[in-house]
Amino acid sequence: MIEIEIHDQSCRGCQLCVDICPTKVFEYDAAQAKAVIRHAEDCIACLSCAYLCPSGALTHGNYHVVKNFYRDLDFSQKMEKFL
Amino acid sequence: MPTLLETRASLQEAMVFLGALASGIEQAIGESANSISYLAGKHLGMAFSEDAPRTGDIEQALRSVTEILQKNNCLWQFEPFQPHDRPALVETTDAGDQVLLVFRDCMIRQSLFRFGHHQKGSLCNMMYGFFSGALLNIMRRDSTLEILHAGENGCYKKLTVGRTVSADTSLPERG
Ligand code: SF4
Ligand code: SF4
Repeated sequence: MIEIEIHDQSCRGCQLCVDICPTKVFEYDAAQAKAVIRHAEDCIACLSCAYLCPSGALTHGNYHVVKNFYRDLDFSQKMEKFL
Repeated sequence: MPTLLETRASLQEAMVFLGALASGIEQAIGESANSISYLAGKHLGMAFSEDAPRTGDIEQALRSVTEILQKNNCLWQFEPFQPHDRPALVETTDAGDQVLLVFRDCMIRQSLFRFGHHQKGSLCNMMYGFFSGALLNIMRRDSTLEILHAGENGCYKKLTVGRTVSADTSLPERG
């Protein structure tokens, strides 16, 4: 399963992650004025929240990193055996 | 015979070229670019799925689409997804049977990023077309693929497969 964490002290409660997440992983905790993770099991690792978070408070683990296009053909030749 | 590396390199170049082309067409003809990309994808989907076995089962049909993509070296990896608040993977609605799909590796997304083009544009409609074409062959149903969310590392889409047999008369008869 994908792992997701909010670094509590970094979160400034802007709620950008709450708004962007397509699967409603987060909720806003008004008492603490911070985002909290409610449904980590629904995270699809789109990484939109991590890209948007102004505090860099979100980290993900155990997810598939999408394959980028090759920049260097020599390098990609070395990669071939893993693909 | 071209090596796999050469094939991949030409595919990549073609995709980057397509990205630029789609962006140019969008600027020139606006929303009509969506139909062009959709039709290109639909033809591709129909051509690739010509010999795929027919089924009325949506999950089986999606497995066939995955196989077709892999067989043709298409970097379009997807999987059905059921969030915690959804009672079933396939939901029956008035519009048809609906499944949520997560798309991970996607050559269209990579070509858009490479060029700095926005997501959900006309080129993304190619995927919608591809599914429409493939599912038309496999299930004899019309379908739509709506982008719910386009992210950096994955996209989230809703596939709706109509419940009545398609009226498309261009479909060849098969057993
Ligand atoms: S986007 Fe970052 S700072 Fe804003 S609420 Fe979410 S975790 Fe906190
Ligand atoms: S990676 Fe995507 S699905 Fe996961 S919590 Fe962030 S926005 Fe939601």
